Amino acid sequence: MDNLILKVCTKVLFTPIILFGLYVQFHGDFGPGGGFQAGVIVAAAFILYAMVFSVEDCKVIMPPKLNFFLLALGAFLYGFVGIIGLILGDPYLSYDVLGTTKEAGQHIGILLVEFGVGLTVCNVMISLFYSFANFNFGKKNND
Amino acid sequence: MIGEIIINAFLVTLMLTIAIFIINTRKVISTILLTGTYSLVAALMFVSLDAVDVAFTEASVGAGISTILFLAALSYLPKEEKEEKFNVKHIYAICTCIIVAGLLIWASYDLPLVGQLENPVHQNLAQDFIEGSRNHIGIPNVVTSILASYRGYDTFGETVVIYTAGIAVLVLLYDGVSKTSKIHKENNK
Repeated sequence: MDNLILKVCTKVLFTPIILFGLYVQFHGDFGPGGGFQAGVIVAAAFILYAMVFSVEDCKVIMPPKLNFFLLALGAFLYGFVGIIGLILGDPYLSYDVLGTTKEAGQHIGILLVEFGVGLTVCNVMISLFYSFANFNFGKKNND
Repeated sequence: MIGEIIINAFLVTLMLTIAIFIINTRKVISTILLTGTYSLVAALMFVSLDAVDVAFTEASVGAGISTILFLAALSYLPKEEKEEKFNVKHIYAICTCIIVAGLLIWASYDLPLVGQLENPVHQNLAQDFIEGSRNHIGIPNVVTSILASYRGYDTFGETVVIYTAGIAVLVLLYDGVSKTSKIHKENNK
């Protein structure tokens, strides 16, 4: 796409969208929001970039290898937080022992777990877009 | 009260209109965009039911990302749907729809009214969750404390499902180096 207005607007909007995603992510304890929504919002910023510039340009700022790594890391983080509780002598996925007090433990646990969800959702969405887009371009060039 | 009824009636009419337009249109791109609009109105519906978290998810996932992914998948699809003549298959489909809709409407008479205190949903665990969210977990948003703490296993399952689905799509569609970059390299040689 070769539209100057779109390109400039995307560059201006890119950071605020990610910032809003992070706000939704970490403000999920106090207002509506959480990992799922935040992941989608952050992914939307990257997809916007890929649509306005090109998928190749987007792969420079979010390389597929990093994308796949983070995709797996999110789910791993969630499971790992549960295992930490297990090691410290609580049932799986109970966060009471993670902090100095029960409440602090719950806060830390929920924050980490939601972050894991956000990472996975965001990177799954980006990788879905990558794979669709790749497939497209290949087809068009073969015609 | 009256205001709420007017808002709900407006939203339901809007959803019905969009649904009829989705059935009637033959262009795939209008179907996709109308589905996104439908999700957006559904999100407003959730707001009027005071389910802000669900509305947020519906707006970002249903109206946002899924529309974009459908648009990305659009280029494999034909631009227009083929018109099909009325035949026996349609009669079966209409009968099934009417029977299932009738059963669902009949079953809905047994449902309690929305938002009543004496509903079964509010009788069992809800009280514990609301009190525990304040006293034990210390988080104002009850939805988050249920999602991440009380029902942590379920959310873990959801995350793993999303992860697995993502991996499955990657295995099916992703082919390592994109073909454009390969062609670029070949052209440069």
